Amino acid sequence: MFRRCKEIGHAAHGARTKQDVLHCFMMHQRLFATTYTLTRLVLYLVLLAPVAVFVLHAFSVRWFYPQVLPAEWTLEPLLRQLGNADTREALWNSTQIALLVSVLSLLVGYPAARVLGLRSFRGKSIVYLLLFLPTIIPPVATGIGLNILFLRLQLTGTIFGVALVHLIPVLPYVVFTLASVFARYDINFEHQARVLGASGWRIFQTVTLPLVLPGLMVAGLFAFLISWSEYLLTLLIGGGRVLTLPLLLFSLVSGGNPTSISALALLFVALPALAVALTSRYLGTEAGIRFQGGAGLGRGDK
Amino acid sequence: MTSITLDNLHIRYPRQPHPVLDGLALAVQSGELLALLGPSGSGKSTILKLIAGIERPDTGDICFDGQSILSIPANRRNAVLMFQKAYLFPFMSIEENISFGLKVQGAACATIRAAVRRMLELVELPGIERKFPAQLSGGEQQRVALARALVTRPRVLMLDEPLSSLDTNVRATLQEAIRRIQRELGLTTILVTHDLSEAMVLADRVALLLDGRIEACAAPRVLFQRPPTRNAARFVGVSTFLEGTVEQCHLQSTLGRLSLPHNTAGPSRPATFAIRPEHLRLLNGAADEASNALPGTITDMIYRGEATEYQVRIADQQVRVRQFSADTDHAPGTVVWVQFPPEHLFEVEGA
Repeated sequence: MFRRCKEIGHAAHGARTKQDVLHCFMMHQRLFATTYTLTRLVLYLVLLAPVAVFVLHAFSVRWFYPQVLPAEWTLEPLLRQLGNADTREALWNSTQIALLVSVLSLLVGYPAARVLGLRSFRGKSIVYLLLFLPTIIPPVATGIGLNILFLRLQLTGTIFGVALVHLIPVLPYVVFTLASVFARYDINFEHQARVLGASGWRIFQTVTLPLVLPGLMVAGLFAFLISWSEYLLTLLIGGGRVLTLPLLLFSLVSGGNPTSISALALLFVALPALAVALTSRYLGTEAGIRFQGGAGLGRGDK
Repeated sequence: MTSITLDNLHIRYPRQPHPVLDGLALAVQSGELLALLGPSGSGKSTILKLIAGIERPDTGDICFDGQSILSIPANRRNAVLMFQKAYLFPFMSIEENISFGLKVQGAACATIRAAVRRMLELVELPGIERKFPAQLSGGEQQRVALARALVTRPRVLMLDEPLSSLDTNVRATLQEAIRRIQRELGLTTILVTHDLSEAMVLADRVALLLDGRIEACAAPRVLFQRPPTRNAARFVGVSTFLEGTVEQCHLQSTLGRLSLPHNTAGPSRPATFAIRPEHLRLLNGAADEASNALPGTITDMIYRGEATEYQVRIADQQVRVRQFSADTDHAPGTVVWVQFPPEHLFEVEGA
């Protein structure tokens, strides 16, 4: 940038002295800083505006046309939503299902990702493609097919059945996230622990788990978020008996009361936002940094 | 103290044309430091992984003190392998890292603390128990890894190029440390290296591994001065080979007629002799039959500081000569006499 300033300086006003060049340089820097701030503000606006509308609606009473902002603020719609039995049931169900899906998907995804990330074998790309299929095939197709199977297994209308079916859209993300963790994982850490006398289970607890924990957290978060906002599969397998937040939200939207919709939408966003915040905070702590910059996690030379 | 016997080891990785190890046999004596020397890809590291139990051989047997250990899992062999990288667990403090093996064995807290302190003194890094691996330099990490490997008093210590990623000065210090500690504890040790000088400095015996087989196994001095085969000779820096016929203590070679040591009497037979470049001498004046020299033309000269290297062409063969006394320079094009001292000529097997 400095050199460019120099050139511009020479060309534009024939500046020769050091001060002129320096002045030009500082002007450029200031311009850059301003552009940066402006871009950031626009981004905030675009990202936060939809949420802001919800906040305005959810916390206001009597907000009529000519007013830019609501005249009165209140917590009443939010408390009313929280007091509603349906909302409480949906919130509880959604939490249960999302947590169950996180745990199940990590249990199933971990071994698969470990093999895919560490080993090379014939047909590996085909396995990747197969894992990716659920995100391509319309969920209605798989959902209706599984509905018949789940009916026979008496899993329809149960929390567990819904959690199971959520694994379909969730697993590709979990496996891909973890496979990339294992692709840059150095198996020699485990070999080192083994020759030092540790058994398989001990190695998993004391070496492997701490090394891949940040990856597990991110994958688990993905699982939680995808399950939390899943609508169609919940409807098909839950059969209306398992009420989750997305189902409740959809039925409210058809009712058309902006205040209750907004209050529920805020509740819907609150828990995932909290989960994201906590995870990113953990990954930024000393433990996370030590993991990333630690004594070499890259693949060994051998 | 443990002796190790490797017997007829074969291993071949899937979809690879050549076996990594092809009928390898090797004996390591109790308390000795054996260096496995060889170019990269010769199967050195594989041998260590087989002994440690990380990999299994297709056929063959591995014995500690005469008893097969193939059925014992890696974590109960008490044979510790130290890798090229330190592989300190990044989320554990230095104390936790070193005590890893002891904790697995279920040692008492006080014992562990004392052992860690003793080990850190042994590797000359006292007082760093509370630090974390990321706070240490590469050399310090390797020392901690060595302490961690030694703390359980293993039967066998294996070092897989533990110093090759370090810079020259640190490497020299650590070589000394390894030598001292190994002698002090009398540990049976196998060191894998591709560095000839490292093998020479550290080892009691050096096994040269080429193409999955032991090409030669001898004390460093013997391997360096009298390598038994042509390939081994090439690996330790011999480039002059004289092919011809031996008769009556003389070699009638392609270069000319040369005297041999006196123990080569017997009937006439074809043979290959070799000589180290630093044992060849350039004579200033003319030479006679008695000086055992051949005339040649200098084609190239490289000044290496402590020595000067000449390429001399003798009867269409390039001969490398290493001269330590660099008082006189011989410019390329000069005709010189190259002396072959008979006591330094040795016979090698193989074409």
